[in-house]
Order: sequence, then C-alpha cells, then structure tokens
Amino acid sequence: MALTLVVVVVAIALIFDFVNGFHDAANSIATVVATRVLKPWQAVLWAAFFNFVSFLVLPLEVANAIAKIVSTDVISIGLVFAGLAGAIFWNVLTAWMGLPSSSSHALIGGMIGAGIAKAGGHVVNLVTLKKTGVFIIYSPLIGLLLAFGLLVLVMWLVHRIRAKRRVNRTFRGLQLLSAAAFSLGHGANDAQKTMGIIAALLIGAKHLDKHVLDHPDSLPLWIVLSCHGAIALGTMMGGWRIVRTMGTKLTKLEPMGGVCAETAAAATLFFASHNGIPVSTTHTITGAIVGVGSAQRMSAVRWNVARRVVWAWVLTIPGSAVVAMATYWVVEVLR
Amino acid sequence: MSGRRSDPRAVFFLLAAVVSALLVPVLPHEPHKPSLDWVGWTLCVAFVVLAVLSWLDHRSRLRR
Repeated sequence: MALTLVVVVVAIALIFDFVNGFHDAANSIATVVATRVLKPWQAVLWAAFFNFVSFLVLPLEVANAIAKIVSTDVISIGLVFAGLAGAIFWNVLTAWMGLPSSSSHALIGGMIGAGIAKAGGHVVNLVTLKKTGVFIIYSPLIGLLLAFGLLVLVMWLVHRIRAKRRVNRTFRGLQLLSAAAFSLGHGANDAQKTMGIIAALLIGAKHLDKHVLDHPDSLPLWIVLSCHGAIALGTMMGGWRIVRTMGTKLTKLEPMGGVCAETAAAATLFFASHNGIPVSTTHTITGAIVGVGSAQRMSAVRWNVARRVVWAWVLTIPGSAVVAMATYWVVEVLR
Repeated sequence: MSGRRSDPRAVFFLLAAVVSALLVPVLPHEPHKPSLDWVGWTLCVAFVVLAVLSWLDHRSRLRR
C-alpha cells in the first residue's frame, strides 16, 4: 500500500513538473519564433532538448535545497502530497484569477505549509527559506541589471555599423544560443525542484538514505532523468499552445533585445542553480525584459501589470502554504 | 518633484538600490559556503549608479 502511495505521489510530482514546462515554454521560445529564426516545431524541440540535457551542465544544488526545506525527519507521504496539492491548488487559483504566480515558489510554500501543519515551524529550514525569499526580489533585479547593461553595451558596439540588416541577421542567429542558454537554466533550476520533492518523499518513505543529500549529485539517475524528461515533454506540448498566442508582450522585443534579455536571464539562472537557490524562471525573464524595456524608454514597461505581478510574487509562498496546511489536516482526518 | 521634472526611471532604480541594501541583513550565512552579501551590495551600488546616470540623462533632455 505504502509503495503504491509513493508511486502515486511521484506521478503527481512529475505531472507538476510537466505543467511547469508547459507553462514556461513561452519564456524559452517566444522570441525565436516571433523573429522567425526557427519554425515553431523547431523552437519547441530546441528548448526541450536543452531542458533535458541541463543536468549534464549544472550541479544538483537546487534539488538538495528543496529536499531539505523541511526537516527530513518529519517528511512523510502525506506531507509531500499536501505540499504538492497546496502548490497545484494555488497555481490553479491564481491562473483562474489571471495572476501570474511562480509554480516554484508555490511548491516551496506548499512544502513549508505542510511541514508546519505536521510538526510546527521549527522543522522549516530557515536558511533555505530566507535565501529563497531574498532572491524572489534579487533574481528579477539581477536579470534586469544584466539585461540593461548588456543592451547598452551591445547598442554602443553596433551603433556605428550602417548595415542594420546585417546586425539584425547576426542577432537573429545569436538568439539560437541565448534561447538554448535560457532553456538550460530553466531545465536545471525548475526540474531540480521536483527532484528535491521526490528525493524528500523517498527519504520519508524509507526508500532512500537521507545521507544521499550530503552529496546531491549522487541522487538516483531515474529521478534526474524522469524530472528532466517531464519538464522537456511539458515544454514540447506547451510550445504548440503558445505559438497560437504569439503577438503578446514578448513579441515586441527586437532580436537584439531578445538576445540580451535571454542571456541575462540565463546568467541569473546559472548563478542561482550553482549556489543552490531556487528561483522562478518567469520572475527572472520578466526582470530581464523590463531591463531591456527600461534601457530603451520607461514607457516601454507596463508598470500597472508589473505591480500586479509583484503582488502575486509576494503572496505565493504564504498563500500556497496556507492551502497545503489545510490539505494536510484534511488528509490526516481522512486517514 | 513635479511630474515633468521627475525621472521615473531614476526613481525606480533608486528604489531597487534601497530594497537591495535592505535585504542584505536577511541573507543567511551558511557554514562552508561563501556569503552572498556581495550580491546585494553589488545590486545596490549598480542601481545607484544607474539612477544617477538616468537622472543626468533626463536633466540634459529637459535642458534641450
């Protein structure tokens, strides 16, 4: 029975990962499709491939941080289920309300809420929580700053070149690299969150030794491959849906701005992944796009939209935590 | 500051600098891991520089 429950919760975690890829496909492929550097199906495959192979490039520090967000001594199948349910419920609720929220932070909030409901606040890893909380603000600011600086530098480098068509062609080509880098960063940071959840679940169910977290790169390969596979598959599926909604906010980027925004966001994600900081890829690329917009003119940024986004960011962790707490208590009553 | 004279971009950058600096004390210090305080201070300094440059740019545009 316990094994069946573990399999079910692993499946829910992988579905969560799939939906994450589905959601975030737009961030990876919007600019390359909008500027017709790649056909939609090529862009989708390109992003999915780099999502999948990112575990070969970046360490599994984020998975480690997520697995330890709640003390492994109190992790149980019910706790992980409640954490996932809280994150999923929060994502559906904010999507229904039209608020952009981060599924990564919803997952962290969900695990914290379920942990508090089970054993109290002392089981929450405050180091990871503080680091994650600060980087909710820092990651878009780093993306913004890098994108701003990169665009100013690039504009300065090319301003004397008269053949604008050649410059444009060069940047269209460079978009392939920047989109690949962003997909690598996305795959690394986001797939690792699910890896951390599955690792915590297996430790809680006594199917994995907790000392495996002392060497995060020694996580079982099937966890790593299934998480990267799920997010890559989600990106492939989501990409097709996004293609139909092209012409929204991201399409206004020129190839040069697109390259700068994606490169800046990728650099931020690499930094965060390397330091074991779970960040939102959506927050990061949003910050980078605002950076590109504000390097051109301030009116290029829709500030009323930005304000709503910030509120959604701030509320995600406490909101999903409350839902997960309620879910955990319901699970306990039904047991 | 009047609506025309103030530079919203400089104000935004200055706000980002203040927030970056205020968050530095919240960053945890982990044993055996390098401190991340430098990230906050770098963001703070960079945004202050951008705020000043943006304000100077805005002022020169107003004079023209």
